[in-house]
Amino acid sequence: MSLEVYIIYGLAIVLLTISFIKDKHKTKKGLMKAIKSFSKLMPILIPLFLFVGILLTLITPAFISTILGEESGFLGYVIGMSVGSITFMSPFVAYPLGLELLENGAAYPQVAGFLVTLMSVGLVYFSMETKFFNKKAAIYRNLISLIGAIIVVGVVWVAF
Amino acid sequence: MKNFMKKNKFLILSLILLLILTIVDIRLSYQALNNSWKQILSMLMIVPPIFVLIGLFDVWIPRETIIKLMGEGSKTRGMILAFILGAFSAGPTLVALPLAMLMLKKGAKYSNVIFFLMVWSSLKLPIVFYQITTIGLKFSMIINITMLIVFIISALFVDKLFSQEEKNQFVEKANEYTK
Repeated sequence: MSLEVYIIYGLAIVLLTISFIKDKHKTKKGLMKAIKSFSKLMPILIPLFLFVGILLTLITPAFISTILGEESGFLGYVIGMSVGSITFMSPFVAYPLGLELLENGAAYPQVAGFLVTLMSVGLVYFSMETKFFNKKAAIYRNLISLIGAIIVVGVVWVAF
Repeated sequence: MKNFMKKNKFLILSLILLLILTIVDIRLSYQALNNSWKQILSMLMIVPPIFVLIGLFDVWIPRETIIKLMGEGSKTRGMILAFILGAFSAGPTLVALPLAMLMLKKGAKYSNVIFFLMVWSSLKLPIVFYQITTIGLKFSMIINITMLIVFIISALFVDKLFSQEEKNQFVEKANEYTK
């Protein structure tokens, strides 16, 4: 388990205790709300994560290494950003993978495009955002992040 | 039937993929299920305390406070606050969505909420530190500063792109999800 998980549990426990001491009734109401929104979200999240798990079986770090390797050229950029946009990966897997790609001879801009799209553009996010906001909002946020990724590729290309 | 398919497209898609994997190589489908299980487990691990925090936030923080801090008149201060909330966060972006809904319900401006989501997705501080230790300071900073500029500009455009009616619909949906 990562550090952030401990921090967030600690924070939740401390605030819950303070809240309970200050106002039992309010705390109970807050907890009921937490349970309610949790149970509303689970039927959406569980199939999504099932899908992500299957996707990660197909798109493995080894597979990404082969497509983003040395001399993959322009196609490497396109594929890197497409794969990054579709999949979804924990940062604790993504950044070491980024490092490995660099060590295997992938170019900095390629890796940058892949990492940025991986973090901020996603089919998975898209479907959730469509549900919570609407399609336009989902397209807007994901598209902006994709444009951001393309700009990052340009900046990194100049800087390295 | 069509409605069911639409509502459960990820479940159906997953089942189809699993079926294909089983035909190709059954070991792949075991591995896929194992991966999914791990994903779901790590999600379930981090989600409960976040929902507790969201619930407490909902009952303790009055609407007026959020309107004042992040509402229509909040200008730069609202954006800075959105940035801080997004940056000092933990957990996958999917978890930020219910929090974004709550902010909308409490009267935060939509541009601030979308900015918060963008910052959460890419510029979370714990992740930035981790990023620096793996891919290096210079590379990380180029990526993060560029993205921050893109996010700020795109947040400023939101009010022109989304009508008041659309924004009201978002708030309605937010009320529905955080009842």
